[in-house]
Amino acid sequence: MPSSFTPPNKFNRRHFLKGLGAAIAVPGLHSLLPGSLLANDSLRQAATTATGAPLRTAFVTFPNGAIPSTWWAEGSTTYFQLGQTLSPLESLKSSVQVIQGLDHQHATGSKDGAGDHARGNSVFLTGVRLNKSATDIRAGVSIDQAIAKEVGAETRFPSMELSCDKARASGSCDSGYSCAYQYNVSWKTPTTPMAPESNPRKVFERLFGEGSHGERSANAERRMNNRRSILDFVMDDAKRMQKRLGNNDKDKLDQYLTGVREVESRIEKMERLGPNIDPELPTPEGVPYSHGEHIAIMYEMMLLAFQTDSTRIATLILAHDGDNRSHEEIGITEGHHELTHHRDKQDRIEKVKKIDRWYVEQFAQFLNRLDGVKDVDGHSILHNSMIVYGSGNADGNKHSHDNLPIVLAGHGGGELNPGRFVVNGSKPATNLFLNMADKMGVKNLPHFGDSTGRLASI
Amino acid sequence: MVPQPILRFTVKQLPLISYLLFSSTFFFAALPLSGNKEIFSSFQKQIEPILDNYCYDCHGLGVSEGEVTLDEFSSNTIRDTDLWLRVFKNSRAHIMPPNEEAQPSANERELLASWIKIGPFGIDPKNPDPGKLTIQRLNRIEYHNTINDLLGIDFNTLDIFPADDSGEGFDNIGDVLTISPMLLEKYLDAANAIVADAVPTQALVMPEKKWNEEALVNLFSQALPVDEDEDNLQLSFYEPSSRTAEIEIEAAGNYQLVVRIKPRSFSSFNGFDYNECEFTFKADGEILINQIFSYTSGRIHEFVFDRTWDVGTHHFTASVEPLTDLEKVKKLKMEIEEIIIRGPYSPENSAPPKNYHTYFPGKVPTSRSKLKSYTRQLITNFATKAYRRPVDKATINKLASLAESISSQKGKTYEAGIAQAMVAILASPRFLFREEGLARKSRNETHAKIDEYSLASRLSYFLWSTMPDDELFDLAETGKLRKNLEPQIERMMSDKRFNNFIENFGGQWLHSRDIQGVNISDYDVWLRDYPNPVLRNARAEYKIVREIPENNRTAEEKETYRRTRAIVVASYDKERPDWSGALKRAMQQETEDYFQYIINEDRSLLELIDSDYTFLNQLLAKHYGIEGVKGAKTRKVQLPPGSPRGGILTQGTILAFTSNPTRTSPVKRGVFILENILGTPPAPPPPDIPALEDAASKEQLAAMSLRETLALHREEPLCSSCHNRMDPLGLALENFNAMGMWRDQELEMPIDSEGVLITGERFLNIQEMKHILATERKRDFYYCISEKLLTYALGRGTEYYDTETIDYLVNELEKNEGSPSALLMAIVKSAPFQKRRHPKFKPE
Repeated sequence: MPSSFTPPNKFNRRHFLKGLGAAIAVPGLHSLLPGSLLANDSLRQAATTATGAPLRTAFVTFPNGAIPSTWWAEGSTTYFQLGQTLSPLESLKSSVQVIQGLDHQHATGSKDGAGDHARGNSVFLTGVRLNKSATDIRAGVSIDQAIAKEVGAETRFPSMELSCDKARASGSCDSGYSCAYQYNVSWKTPTTPMAPESNPRKVFERLFGEGSHGERSANAERRMNNRRSILDFVMDDAKRMQKRLGNNDKDKLDQYLTGVREVESRIEKMERLGPNIDPELPTPEGVPYSHGEHIAIMYEMMLLAFQTDSTRIATLILAHDGDNRSHEEIGITEGHHELTHHRDKQDRIEKVKKIDRWYVEQFAQFLNRLDGVKDVDGHSILHNSMIVYGSGNADGNKHSHDNLPIVLAGHGGGELNPGRFVVNGSKPATNLFLNMADKMGVKNLPHFGDSTGRLASI
Repeated sequence: MVPQPILRFTVKQLPLISYLLFSSTFFFAALPLSGNKEIFSSFQKQIEPILDNYCYDCHGLGVSEGEVTLDEFSSNTIRDTDLWLRVFKNSRAHIMPPNEEAQPSANERELLASWIKIGPFGIDPKNPDPGKLTIQRLNRIEYHNTINDLLGIDFNTLDIFPADDSGEGFDNIGDVLTISPMLLEKYLDAANAIVADAVPTQALVMPEKKWNEEALVNLFSQALPVDEDEDNLQLSFYEPSSRTAEIEIEAAGNYQLVVRIKPRSFSSFNGFDYNECEFTFKADGEILINQIFSYTSGRIHEFVFDRTWDVGTHHFTASVEPLTDLEKVKKLKMEIEEIIIRGPYSPENSAPPKNYHTYFPGKVPTSRSKLKSYTRQLITNFATKAYRRPVDKATINKLASLAESISSQKGKTYEAGIAQAMVAILASPRFLFREEGLARKSRNETHAKIDEYSLASRLSYFLWSTMPDDELFDLAETGKLRKNLEPQIERMMSDKRFNNFIENFGGQWLHSRDIQGVNISDYDVWLRDYPNPVLRNARAEYKIVREIPENNRTAEEKETYRRTRAIVVASYDKERPDWSGALKRAMQQETEDYFQYIINEDRSLLELIDSDYTFLNQLLAKHYGIEGVKGAKTRKVQLPPGSPRGGILTQGTILAFTSNPTRTSPVKRGVFILENILGTPPAPPPPDIPALEDAASKEQLAAMSLRETLALHREEPLCSSCHNRMDPLGLALENFNAMGMWRDQELEMPIDSEGVLITGERFLNIQEMKHILATERKRDFYYCISEKLLTYALGRGTEYYDTETIDYLVNELEKNEGSPSALLMAIVKSAPFQKRRHPKFKPE
């Protein structure tokens, strides 16, 4: 006779968010992390802070650029006033750097013409010129994946890709670019985009296992065993199939085999590190109806992944570049993209500013959450993180890609120099990424995308 | 260069072209020119004089409009296929030379077109290059359908797998269908979940009884009448309510009770409903579920309870208690999906589970050797079906030993071993990808025919979005499929699985798939067309005052809030036009039924543009202002004479899809028609768009209608070449608002839909424009739909080397008066559908 009695579940999604706050307030959070972590010298090599705590990197992208006149700050490097759009970050000023003068030359039209939003997405973290095609997709490896390749082995998940885009329209995407460019920012190889997850429930279950608190570790282990039992067969099948195929097709089988190897490595990690922590939290229900709640819960998923050291590298697309949703939550019924082509009409500009600021407010809330959570070394998670908040378009009205709106948050475990308004002149955004890769302990990355060097300091 | 001896193109002399031009079998008699020098010399003799006459004023002699230069070719650059494809298409659609310039004769155009095909494109019409085809992964719809056909499991891939990337307008393009590590992981988990759901791993299980849909409603119907919205049992979030059921238990014992519930929303209004309710479920008075629910995603909550029951009547109660009194914007309900009772648990009560004999036919042998061959047979059968082609012995051996290794484990059954082998099959790349082979006899040919198993899959994924059925597979196995293509296509088109073609090809091409997700601020759209100053002002005030936290409002603000909110809220129910999920479903149904009707009845495809009928239910008919349609069922409706409806351009799906949230977008609509009807997409906008302010003052601009603003736009030469093409098409649809409703004015200004197409045709209104598209521009439409359909059929974008095939398709359409079945047949018979490019073939 089966004995599966599921106790009544007292939670719903909003309770989840509240519950998360409660869980984090509980002292002795060290238990959320493998106890050996701080003592393990081998981990000092990569993605760790000076104290030995994990160092995290995240890239959060918002759509359609920002109205430049109110985005930036005013003043000197260290004494500055945040602009109206960034003012929600006021209380976090000592933890952020407003970095001016970062460009993406390959996101501009050049000989490829229109398609600035598709490029805004897939150039942002790759810094390469995309092959303009609806079918022949070739971008570059994105910086999060370049870092994950080097340091991802330290955690259960080399990286995590999240998105708050729900439905996708069928049909063609931006001006002759494949939709793969428009809905992805993270690229594992030039031909393999990392499709992001937009359902918080799926993210949670992937991290910790299905079911209620108490059942998850066992479920996750069962899932791993299920996967393990067929790996040999499918690996062998894929290799034999690859031999039969032509060159065009080999790349597809490579993608398959890469996935199989990642599952193998995860099983190996599970054996080494034991099952992941099972947070005393209900599983989120699914995609919330409102965009704001969706963003909030995806930020929470990222926090949870960092807090449990499930990964140290994440990307989050708040909405794909070119997004035309209306923001009814703040009373804006017109489409965002449509409004950004404001034709210098003041009422439209004001609405875009309101949206820009709303996105920053959500980011500020996230940073506050990160700041409120203690890491293994007693610092906050925010202290031990480097988080880029930016957009692949600068001025959405003009589709410009120089002087991109970019904020770098976090202290990088004490190695960053936040609380600054940095004016760089004009430099490739990829220069910043190189600095970040260095801090993450990535070796042998002399160049990235169109980089010309490193920024003087971050 | 073409490697010998794989291709033996014959060098032909130039006069052949002029000879062929007047030959009736022109399209198939032409032979390719070989060698760049020869092509260049034919260009100089035959083509340059035509270009000199009609093109060089703008694209030669030092002028390069649109960065196109046609007088600087050499034998090294003569094969610029990208450039020649533009020339080919623009000449074909009469976009070039521009309407006001001297026009080449039909013969001259034809000569140019045929020279481009056999010259720069190097097409051998007798054996055209089937093209570069990248192996196709099943997209999430094909995966769903294939699993459904294979195992009868309705696996929700839309929820579980990430959206597939698309290219060229479709999500079945091999090049673009990638596998990220996360997706691979999901494939492994899906294989496990599907097999666990489908295949019994016990020979004997307890009986179960399920109540869902009507049976469930009947079970609970004693207390209250059923809600009018749906078949399932529903309880509103907003009112306390309770319903009871009685179930007779005939044998005492241990039972398992499963209750599946979900919160649902019955309104698509773009607002947020934060109301919560408390749901309670009791069995014989004992509380089993007592939980707070809010509306989030409509996820099903499953609760499982072990109960010990006596013989007799047992009582169940489901009740809802509202907990909040916030704005009721979403019409929330708790829905009971299903109740299952399993038991009583006892050995003598057990029986083989449902479907057991589907997977384990006959009796599972007990002798070791017989069991071994039984195992191999089961695995061979399933793998062959799942891989959609014969499976080699080595694979069967591996799968059989996988099965044995599992079933020999302690506590595992024989069935569990077979199930594990099935999991491996479903996770294999041979299931996930459509691997193809070549026909044995054809292997040494330049471009070989694919084998019949591959052909069966191409057919089934094209027309059904799923795997081949037994009949197709049997024909392929006996080598008879190619000989029976016509009856098979007819059979496939009359099968219910052909709906998948309508939903996936039509749904993407005509965007009926997207209507549910289209972001329309219906309120704003409505206010634009039906100005209501009282409401507009109240709403503006309300938006401001509601942002002030309730406790901070002054008495005056509180009063304003109360007054304006009352006006706004009252308008939600009474005055607004409907923009509900039901309406959007009716719109989707209209487009799908319309497309399906034309195809199933083999009507002319031109009726997609213009007709005197459409498909409506009462809701949609009312929305369109058409009288006399009663009831919720969508049916064919004859339109009144002169009606602007009829044809896909005036259907709600496309009209809404091509709008911005608060207003129409004539530019988007124009682009839609150029891309999807005329097949002549405009060049993307240039990077440095000049500001309109350069042409008029801000005050002037503010007073202008959209039509006037666009006209101003077209005065700029940089903009005019494309906007002259897009704007008239889009402006002709301005009588339809962003929700697809008819209107005579917008913002109190009358709408003017008159215009001239770039090709010179004038029209006064949408009726006339549709007529022009379906007559004068008929060939453009034929080219467009042929190209779209070929793209979808092959799972790759069309290229210059497909021009011959597309010409052939269009000629078939012309010959058969736009017959859809003729087009489908022609595609299936075309070289790219029947063959694969030789691995060593390198196009120029």
